[in-house]
Amino acid sequence: MADANEHLDKIMLELRRGTITIGALSQLSEPQYGYSLVTMLNEKGIHVEPGTLYPLLRRLEKQGLLDSKWDTNESRPRKYYVLSQTGKEVFDLLVVEWKNIAASLDQIIEPKRGDENGGN
Amino acid sequence: MEVINRYIYAVTQKLPSSQRQDIADELRGLIEDMLEERTEREDMKESDIEEVLLELGSPRELADKYRGTKKYMIGPELFDSYILVLKIVLIVISASIGIGFIIQTILDPVSILNYFVDMIVRLVTVLPMAFGWTTFWFAIGDLYDGNKQKDLLGQEWKPSDLPPIPDEKRQIKRCESIIGIIFYTIIIVFLAFSSDYFGVWIFRDGFNGVVPFLNEQTYGIYLLLILLVFGTGIIKECLKLVKGKWTYRLAIYTTIVNAVSMAAVLFIISRPDFWNPEFMNQLVEAGVVTAGSEAFDTVTAIWNQSTFWILILFIIGLAWDAVDGFIKSRKR
Repeated sequence: MADANEHLDKIMLELRRGTITIGALSQLSEPQYGYSLVTMLNEKGIHVEPGTLYPLLRRLEKQGLLDSKWDTNESRPRKYYVLSQTGKEVFDLLVVEWKNIAASLDQIIEPKRGDENGGN
Repeated sequence: MEVINRYIYAVTQKLPSSQRQDIADELRGLIEDMLEERTEREDMKESDIEEVLLELGSPRELADKYRGTKKYMIGPELFDSYILVLKIVLIVISASIGIGFIIQTILDPVSILNYFVDMIVRLVTVLPMAFGWTTFWFAIGDLYDGNKQKDLLGQEWKPSDLPPIPDEKRQIKRCESIIGIIFYTIIIVFLAFSSDYFGVWIFRDGFNGVVPFLNEQTYGIYLLLILLVFGTGIIKECLKLVKGKWTYRLAIYTTIVNAVSMAAVLFIISRPDFWNPEFMNQLVEAGVVTAGSEAFDTVTAIWNQSTFWILILFIIGLAWDAVDGFIKSRKR
């Protein structure tokens, strides 16, 4: 079982990588700083570590999907990220793609589970 | 707080300097946010800091995530050739220096200790140098690799872009380049360390010394140029090894390299102080020939003509090498 868990961890790591991007983009129609985004996502059941999210935000910014601005008015300076115009378009397209994938996978997975249950 | 500074420094020093400050500021904010959430203000303990840093993970991993892609000096496409050339160069150099030591010892067994020390000194100085230069040129090659740049541009690829399988005659055999590299390396080692053995060997009751071909006073200056000539030869062979087939571009490179070598050789060999000016006198002194005899005249003639003929041979060789490249790249 330990072995299975190890495999699961590896595969989940790959699987999460893409979903976190969608998750982050989904929350950034309003400006957020990194840690508030971590908290928001965790509250909604998407577990993401700051050490993963912060580099991701920078990468998305570099790709032009996010805009960023330093806010120095608060007690400590924070970098706020928000969807750029391109980012918005990309996110809308991503949502469609994701729904397709989820639907297709559901179709593939569900009947099998039905078979197994039927067999028992 | 010191440990936080250390952590941020450890992460950012591995990142490009243009992003360092920004990432450092952002990380500091993050760590403070995480601490605040944990400790409800004022009551901060060392253990809390430690916990937060552990959650962020090792600085190396975090820096890797910021960097995204792994960086390397010599990419996977070139790595095999790099290792091959490195092996050849290092083995040949070690072997040549070792053989040099054996020959010296046979000729003059009394000074074996000196020769042994010489050998160690040479190995220690030359092997790292060879390693460094080989790596340097491969890193340059990796930087300017045309194929890779094309991939990066993301041009649309079509099956019709596939190059034809090169004709046998157009392929460059690996062993050809390997022999070339071995050959050039041996010459370099020989010229760099054993130039005093490059001449007519005098044997009378055993080994009696050498009448050198080259002028030992000025040799040091020329050595650099000579190394350049044969060094570019090695680069040329490496290019052939990596490409594996003749193309116009490779032929053009070869021609340029050969032209540079030729210019350098012309320059070196045509200087009157390159050759040993006392060569004939020393031959007479060593008793190989007697002044005024017919043999003396013949040797003098050969000696005076030799510059010219060496030059001719060199030019023919290099020109042929270049022309051959063009002919082979034309074949389909």
